[in-house]
Amino acid sequence: MDAKPHEPLSRRQFLRNGARLMTMTGLGAAAGVLSTRSTGAAWVWQIDPAKCLHCGNCATKCVLEQSAVKCVHTYAVCGYCQLCTGFFAPEPNELTTAAENQLCPTAAIKRTYVEDPYYQYSIDEQLCIGCAKCVEGCNRFGNGSLFLQIRHDRCLNCNECAISRTCPGDAFRRVPVEHPYLLKTTSR
Amino acid sequence: MKPELEPLNRREFFGVVAKSAAILGLTSAAEAKGAAQGTANPFAYDISRFQKTDPKLITYEQVTRWPIPHKDAKRLAIGPDDRLYVCADKYINSLSRTGQLGMELTLSGPASCVAVAADGTIFAGLRDHIEVFDAKGVRTARWESPDPKTWFTGLAVGAQDVFAADSVKLVVLRHDRTGKIVGRIGRKDDARNVPGFVVPSPFLDVIIHRDGLLRVNNPGRHQVEAYTFDGDFEAAWGKPTIATEGFCGCCNPIALTMLPDGRIITCEKGIPRVKVYDASGEFESVVAGAESFPENAHACTDLNDCIHGGIDAAVDSEGRIYILDIVTSEVRVMKRKG
Repeated sequence: MDAKPHEPLSRRQFLRNGARLMTMTGLGAAAGVLSTRSTGAAWVWQIDPAKCLHCGNCATKCVLEQSAVKCVHTYAVCGYCQLCTGFFAPEPNELTTAAENQLCPTAAIKRTYVEDPYYQYSIDEQLCIGCAKCVEGCNRFGNGSLFLQIRHDRCLNCNECAISRTCPGDAFRRVPVEHPYLLKTTSR
Repeated sequence: MKPELEPLNRREFFGVVAKSAAILGLTSAAEAKGAAQGTANPFAYDISRFQKTDPKLITYEQVTRWPIPHKDAKRLAIGPDDRLYVCADKYINSLSRTGQLGMELTLSGPASCVAVAADGTIFAGLRDHIEVFDAKGVRTARWESPDPKTWFTGLAVGAQDVFAADSVKLVVLRHDRTGKIVGRIGRKDDARNVPGFVVPSPFLDVIIHRDGLLRVNNPGRHQVEAYTFDGDFEAAWGKPTIATEGFCGCCNPIALTMLPDGRIITCEKGIPRVKVYDASGEFESVVAGAESFPENAHACTDLNDCIHGGIDAAVDSEGRIYILDIVTSEVRVMKRKG
């Protein structure tokens, strides 16, 4: 018997089929996420600090309202500088914590006196937006102890990370969930 | 004429949707491209205005430049007959004033600093010890490491003393010519009014000034300090500022040398520049500004932190200044204008 020729779909049929397809796709995606969350993702996104160009994209390209990328600090590499170029603007009026002297647009770096002439710098991740301005300042003059990392308590682990698509340094890559961070270590 | 708010038919609806999608796509692509090119970074760390030197301040001009034979250069020194000695990787090469290669010494490991005595004896600083060669390049001694953490980054040789700057232990060791440590200079000591070296990155240098005192950079305090051979703190000068007359960044200057008349040459990283100060520390002029070292300035911005950048300088008997760019592994020869 000859096969019945396909009849053109009506608009109503087309929309109904489309809705069915979308529903199935959505369920599939949800199932995928659930399966990932329930079993633990094997791979997560992370930034290779050796490739990061401090371009600012991490602050603006993340799908989250406040980026999952934060500045982190390896204290073993830090010089505890009095004039920290990650903390102070390039030409500060004076070396105090007054807002006009600070480099960070959200004042997310806390400066604490240790002993003459050393100061400790710590990141308030609630305020940090991952803009990398401090990272650039620290790398340009200092030891590079400030760098960016994706914080996995915030990251949604998107299948295709929105920041990675625009990263000019190709610094985003998948890492095993057992080792989710790429931390700098001391060279001294 | 068609009313403005007439309902769209199916064809018009899909046409509008397609156009909107195309515009959105183009906008996103442009935004991504702009961001990737660094043209639209609202958080840019901009110090470009400090990277151009006022031409009126530049009193030297480049005579020539030549490459050195090995990568990973660290320091250079002037020896007898104005021969230049450059340490790079695990080698020390001597060069003439025109860049002609002479002998090559092979060390037991990567060199970090070098100094040459008036009699031609060559002292090579490795990370944790010093190796000694005679003027013909024959190894005569190896001075054992004073501490497992020692990191020598500067050497100076006098008639009877060898001074070695240890950037990790924050001290300048005074040796006699046999290698015996006879003094320690610069350790923080309130009783002697010694402020203590602050060295966030491994750049501690020492020179013997013609006035008979040592000059040591104290990069974390943005100062040059004067000490007697016995370790008494005599004076300090320098101020932290990104402006030309001071020392920029977290920790500068990184290297020192001296003109025949006693004026002091300083080298900085981050904004790589070489400057002249009088013996009392008054800023005089610029030998070469950041615009002279584009690759070196770049080294501290992209992939590496700034311990991989830096420059060094040495001066011959006629006052010509040899600048070692450790990023490009080349020497620039500068002479005073006019």
